[in-house]
Amino acid sequence: MNDTTETLSVDTADMPPDPTLTAAPTAMKNARETPEEAGPGVIETKNMDVFYGDFKAVADVSMNFAFNEISALIGPSGCGKSTVLRSLNRMNDLIPTARTDGEVLYHGANIYAPGVDPVEIRRRIGMVFQKPNPFPKSIFDNIAWGAKINGFKGSKADMKDLVEGALRQAALWDEVKDKLNESGLSLSGGQQQRLCIARAVATQPDVILMDEPCSALDPIATLRIEELMLELKENYSIIIVTHNMQQAARVSDRTAFFNVELDTKGQRTGYLVEFSPTDQLFTSPKEKATEDYITGRFG
Amino acid sequence: MTADRDVTAAVPEREGTRQHFDETLEQIKQDLVTMGSLVLENVRRAGDAMVESRLDLVEVVREVDDQVDQLYLEAEKLTFETLARQQPVAGDLRFLVAATRILYELERSGDLAYNCVKMLARVDGFPQHPLITPLLEASVTASCKVFAQGIDALADLVPDAGAKLDAADDEVDHMVSELFTVVGRHSFEVGLEVAIALSRVGRFLERIADHAVNIGEHVTYTVTAALPGEGHNATADEDGG
Repeated sequence: MNDTTETLSVDTADMPPDPTLTAAPTAMKNARETPEEAGPGVIETKNMDVFYGDFKAVADVSMNFAFNEISALIGPSGCGKSTVLRSLNRMNDLIPTARTDGEVLYHGANIYAPGVDPVEIRRRIGMVFQKPNPFPKSIFDNIAWGAKINGFKGSKADMKDLVEGALRQAALWDEVKDKLNESGLSLSGGQQQRLCIARAVATQPDVILMDEPCSALDPIATLRIEELMLELKENYSIIIVTHNMQQAARVSDRTAFFNVELDTKGQRTGYLVEFSPTDQLFTSPKEKATEDYITGRFG
Repeated sequence: MTADRDVTAAVPEREGTRQHFDETLEQIKQDLVTMGSLVLENVRRAGDAMVESRLDLVEVVREVDDQVDQLYLEAEKLTFETLARQQPVAGDLRFLVAATRILYELERSGDLAYNCVKMLARVDGFPQHPLITPLLEASVTASCKVFAQGIDALADLVPDAGAKLDAADDEVDHMVSELFTVVGRHSFEVGLEVAIALSRVGRFLERIADHAVNIGEHVTYTVTAALPGEGHNATADEDGG
């Protein structure tokens, strides 16, 4: 399972395909064409536990992430929300001691089943990180490179179309169309984050995971990303981890609240408290623990 | 929505991580209760003025209603500021949204109390009548009883306040309907102008109780998140005066 020792600060485009792993199951290959045949949600976790060595970081998480919705994961530090997010595209495999028990079904197929190629998983389930991390390359190459690594075989003109399409989807095209050869690092923080979203989109995933994507951005750039998320959900399912509860309230369709508890050995294990429609969670949460957290009377 | 929901969740009393915010919520609740008590007192005063035909109380009722209006503006400002600055959610949000509505119910009830004595002044006092005067007094008492229950429900955040007040309101409707019938039957004795004034007063008293029922429903929403069902018997545009 721990197929590589690369650091965590990489995303879909960053990883070369691993020829030793076989291709994804058929159910996943045709996933985008026939999602309704694959099960109720785009991703479903069943009794998922995640361990780092002996330490159980999150326990017994069962969730169903709906198609074309934005799902937000909130909760205090250490509640395991980022761990859960990273388990959804096997990003935790990059941590040598990490282990995931239970099932994570993507279009009904377990992504942790033997023979599943984690690189293919990460192509289909893209990721955007807290700190914008464009490659030190041109804006054009930031997008083209990932596509090439993932086996893009089209002509130069096709590649230009792909880059333009990805930049348009990330609402960045108009700002960068005249400087595609400039470095991605020359852009502002908000633009860099949208470039990373364009890079994730270019590999044609159907799920985008976002881990605190706005925490390094100013309020205006944050609102632009949120607006972009609302546009992207037409074509993608989005799962976002955020410390900003107002952000979860503004953009998400469903919100999951995770909490953390001490076990008998003094270990802190995260668990899912409530996964409800966002309007419901922020007006009348089912659980007292949720109410205490979102109203700021936590701890 | 559930019966076992923590009743204190809306306005927690314990000191915690948001002490200043909690104090502001408590302040708003206190303002509402104070305003409600002033209105209740003024409805009773308007009732005394009508039953005993005391025109000297008309001005007092007006002055107290001005105080109520002033409190309304202050409490509304604090509520809106808190909504804008604290971005409340869950029980806090429900309480503050309910507060804006309860403020309206209280302010309208205060106006209706003043409308009662305006009717009294217009006809230069109500005559003592062996059948009408006791019924008017009973209507005032019934309306005040429901209104007091509404303020108590607010002060104690009673979860099923909406249903309780809705049931209590039937007594007021019954009394006012009696008053209306008797005034109609004896309109020649008291004069048409007085009869019309009395029937309008009956309507105002009924509306005051309806506002109390609405307050009960807002309290229920605050505590349980349950929205009033069908049969919401009071709407703003029905207010007379």
